[in-house]
Amino acid sequence: MDVKNGLRSEMVLLMLCVESHHTGECVFYHRLCCATTMNRTPGILIAIPAYNEAGTIAAIIGRVRDSLPDYDLLVVNDGSSDATGQILETLDATVATHMCNLGYGRAVQTAIMYALECGYDALVTLDADGQHQPEQIESLLREFRKEGWDVLIGSRYVAARGYRGAPLGRRLGMQLFSVLVKLIIGRRVYDTSSGLKIIRRTVFEPLTHWHFVDFHAEAIVYLMRLGYRIGEFPVTVAERTQGRSMYTPINYFKYPLKTSMLVLLGIIEAALTRRRHRS
Amino acid sequence: MSLQGVLVLNLIALALLLWVLNLIRHGRLYVGYGVIFVIATLGTMLLVSVPKLQTVLTHVIGAVFPVSALTLLALCFIVLMLLYTLTQLTIVSNRLSKLVQELAIERARAAALRGDAEPRGLRNELSE
Repeated sequence: MDVKNGLRSEMVLLMLCVESHHTGECVFYHRLCCATTMNRTPGILIAIPAYNEAGTIAAIIGRVRDSLPDYDLLVVNDGSSDATGQILETLDATVATHMCNLGYGRAVQTAIMYALECGYDALVTLDADGQHQPEQIESLLREFRKEGWDVLIGSRYVAARGYRGAPLGRRLGMQLFSVLVKLIIGRRVYDTSSGLKIIRRTVFEPLTHWHFVDFHAEAIVYLMRLGYRIGEFPVTVAERTQGRSMYTPINYFKYPLKTSMLVLLGIIEAALTRRRHRS
Repeated sequence: MSLQGVLVLNLIALALLLWVLNLIRHGRLYVGYGVIFVIATLGTMLLVSVPKLQTVLTHVIGAVFPVSALTLLALCFIVLMLLYTLTQLTIVSNRLSKLVQELAIERARAAALRGDAEPRGLRNELSE
């Protein structure tokens, strides 16, 4: 297909997409657009938010494909300025590209919105930096199905409480928010900042309606206050070997302040939502 | 500062605090800006309520007279203008983010349909 025809067909498809959104009647197109209903393992989408992860993204996608060949895979390229975009073009994955960098929280939200629009039953998120082991997702999914969790967090602290892989500042932050969650909810969630999560469809809508920083402690408190079940499952996490962490030194000050504020507001918002639903 | 001045300023600060929190809750003020406003407001309330603290701060920064109530009221006006500007900025920023997200999703769906990055489920179905 030449470039001109390619562009024209993309325009037609986009117009069809927009039209189907407005009329709400194009079920056939919806099925064709979103492969989920035709999937061999229906309803599970694996999503990887990626920002400047050229060094690791190919290996991660390869490992996901090897260990979970039957699941659909979405990579959210969050406006990467390195070669991540070009690498993704050569790989076997659906790519949603942000035209500019919106941040980790927005990238996860894009994955949730995609999963919601395409009718997936559950969404698995994992980081693109190679710290999470895609090979462990299958056991996570078994636990998710068995216990019927609404959100299941792959936690590095359930089995090994003394995990030392993360920098001291981040470990302190995680301890702080773990204690905060315990004080508010009455149950300890050890790894509030894990990027490895399984999210059930029922939770998609609350997560897209309200705003979160990184879907960490603030999202956990908000969802638990709304009555959703959140569990943790032990996973092992490798140390980052390439690329840069999204937590810069200034984030060690900004992140706890922003998250604490959203935790507080999340409690209020959840209470108001519950009251609205009751009335 | 008189007791009346302290009460008025604290009431204004409290109203500002509640307004900021409500703006964040509705997504009309970016939480990063909100944090700065909340810290600044709480700091001002503390400074206004504890006269000794005000004297110490005046001494530390090398000023001759403590800040007057009138100056603080003028600052309140500037803060309100700033808050309004940042709220508008947040609203525009949210709209842009939403647009970028929607565009990314629609393009991903179109690519999946075209077969550029054919989801495995779709490929299996078509081959059958």
